[in-house]
Amino acid sequence: MRRLRIALSQGLLLGESLAALSAAGCETLGLTPDERRLLVRAGDVDIVRARPSDIATYVERGAADLGIVGKDVLMETGARVLELVDLRFGACRFVVAAPRGAVASSLDDYRHLGSLEVATKYPNVAERHFRARGIPVEIIRVAGSTELAPQVGLADWIVDLVATGATLAANDLAVIEEIAPSTARLIANPAAYHTRRDVIAPLAQRLGEWAEART
Amino acid sequence: MSKGDQADGNGGPVVLAPPRGFRDILPTEARELRAIERTLSEVFASYGYLPLDPPLVEHGDATPVAGPARLISFLDRDGTRVALRPDITSAVARLVAQRYSGPSGALRLSYFAPVFREEPAMLGAERQYDQAGAELVGAVGPLADAEVLALMAESLACAGLHDQQIEVGHVGVLMSLFAELDDASRAVVLRELRDGDHVGAFKRARRAGMSTDGLRRAERGLAARGMAELDALTLPEASALHEVIALARQLFGGARGDWAVPNLALLPTLPYYTGIVFEALRPDVGFAIASGGRYDGLLSAYGAARPAAGFAINVPRLHRALFATGWRPRHDQCLVVIEPGDPRRTARLASALRGVGVTAAIGPIAESGGLAVVNVDVVDDEHVRHADGRVLTVDELARVVA
Repeated sequence: MRRLRIALSQGLLLGESLAALSAAGCETLGLTPDERRLLVRAGDVDIVRARPSDIATYVERGAADLGIVGKDVLMETGARVLELVDLRFGACRFVVAAPRGAVASSLDDYRHLGSLEVATKYPNVAERHFRARGIPVEIIRVAGSTELAPQVGLADWIVDLVATGATLAANDLAVIEEIAPSTARLIANPAAYHTRRDVIAPLAQRLGEWAEART
Repeated sequence: MSKGDQADGNGGPVVLAPPRGFRDILPTEARELRAIERTLSEVFASYGYLPLDPPLVEHGDATPVAGPARLISFLDRDGTRVALRPDITSAVARLVAQRYSGPSGALRLSYFAPVFREEPAMLGAERQYDQAGAELVGAVGPLADAEVLALMAESLACAGLHDQQIEVGHVGVLMSLFAELDDASRAVVLRELRDGDHVGAFKRARRAGMSTDGLRRAERGLAARGMAELDALTLPEASALHEVIALARQLFGGARGDWAVPNLALLPTLPYYTGIVFEALRPDVGFAIASGGRYDGLLSAYGAARPAAGFAINVPRLHRALFATGWRPRHDQCLVVIEPGDPRRTARLASALRGVGVTAAIGPIAESGGLAVVNVDVVDDEHVRHADGRVLTVDELARVVA
C-alpha cells in the first residue's frame, strides 16, 4: 500500500492547514507556504498541493486519500467525498449582493422582465440557491472580479464568496442574502477512508479535537 | 476533416470514431472481458443463479438507480419515450412484478450485460459499460444476506482478484445509532450521511436534540471497523450484522478468513437500501469495484412487494484492477498461424489441427488479440514445419502449443 497522501489547498488555507496537521502529530517539518515542490514527503505521509477546486477532484478519484478544502469548493463541485471534520478555519460565506441602493430598482426590473441576471464564479451554488427560492435568473459565469459586474451593467446581482465583506463595500455592493457559511473541511476518499481507517480515524479525531480547542 | 476520417461518396467526411461516450472494444481487451464473463457466469451458476437477459431498451421513466439526467433516452416512433437501460436491477424488479408475482420461493437471477448512463459515467466519460451481477428475490434472513455477500466475494476471487477487502455496513444498525431522533430528523441525518457529509449530519443531529452521549456513541459507531469494534457497540442490530458476516465466511472461505469487514461508515448514495450494504474495495483504488446490499423496498416500486438483495460488479473496474496485478486470462492457447501453401493441403492441415484442439488461422494475420503466435509452414496434411525448423505431426504441435 502506498503512503497516506494528503492534498492541501494552495493559497489562503495552506498556512493553517499545515498548522493543523502539525498539531495533530503529522510531521510537516520544513514545509512552509513558500515551498515550491508540489509533492513532498513529510514523515509518514506525502503532501500534495493543488488549486482548491482540484483538491476535491484528487480526493474524489483517489489520487489523494485525504484533503483539506473549503466547504465552498465542495458545494460548488459536488464532489463525492466524505466530509469528516469541520476544521473551523478559513471562514467565509456565500452571499447574494447587489449595488447599494439599487435593490428596489432591481426588484422592479424583476417584476417587469421576469428574470434577473446574476454574475458569479460559482454557477452551481448560485443556480441551486435561486432554484430553491423559485426566482428565475440567468447565471453569467465569470472567472474573477465578480464585484465589477453590476457596475458595468453585466449583471443585476452577484453571488460571491466573502470573508470580511470589505471588497463588496469598496465596490458599493450590499449583501441581500446569505446563502451558506463555509469553513475548511477534512475530506476523505470513501474507499481510502474504509481501507485505511486505522490511520485516518485517529488523525480525524486529533484534528477534530484541535479545531474544537481553538474555538 | 480530422485525421482518421474519410470522405464519403458525397464528399462529406465520414466520422470513424463512435458517438461520444461509446467506444470499440478491440480483440485484446474483448478477449480478456470474455474470460472474465466466463468465470463470473460459472460462479453465479454454481450458487444456483440462472442467467437472465432483459432488453437493451426500457421505458423512459427514471429508475430508482438512475435519475432522468443520467438516462440516455429518445422517442420511439409512436412518440413514447424509451431509454437504454441504466441498470439491470430495475429491469429485474419490473419483470419479477410482471412474470413472477405469484411464486413464493426464492428467485436467483444473474446477468452479465452492458448498461448505459449519461455522463458522468462510472469510468472516464463512458456511457456504456458492462455490469455483472446477481439478484436474490424473495429470500430474507441472515443466510440470504450472507449468500449474496459470499457470492460477490467468491466471484471476484475466482476472477483473479485476491486482495480485495469487502466492507460491510448495515442501514439498520446505522439507524439504531440515531434512534434518539424522531423519524423526520433521522431521515435527514441519514441523507447527509449518504451524501458523505459526516460534519453536516452530526451538526443536524445535535440541533435536533440528540444527547452528547448519543452523539459520541454514534461517532464511535461510524468510526467502528472490524468485528471487535462492532461488538463493542452492544447493539442488537450489530450482532445481526456480525452473524451475517460469520455466515458469509462459512459459505466462502477465501484466501484470507477476514475478507469481509464490518464497517458502519459504509453507506451508498442510493436511498433504497434497507439492510446490509457492501462494497469490494482495494487499497489505492479510489472506487468500489463491486457493490450491493439488501433493498427490500425497491421491488414494491414496481408493484411486487418482495424482499430482494443483490450486487453488481463494475466489469471495467474489475478488469482494470486485475490488469494492475499482472493478470492475464487463464488457459490462453497459442494462435497457430499457418503460412498457406497448396490451398487444398493447407485446408486439410488446418482442419486436422483444429481436430486436435489447436487454435489455427490461415495467415497472414493482422491482429493476434494478445495471443502468443506460433508460425508454421505446411508440409503435408498431417505435418507442419515449426518456425524453429522442426517438422512436427499435428499431435506433436498440439502438445507444443498446449
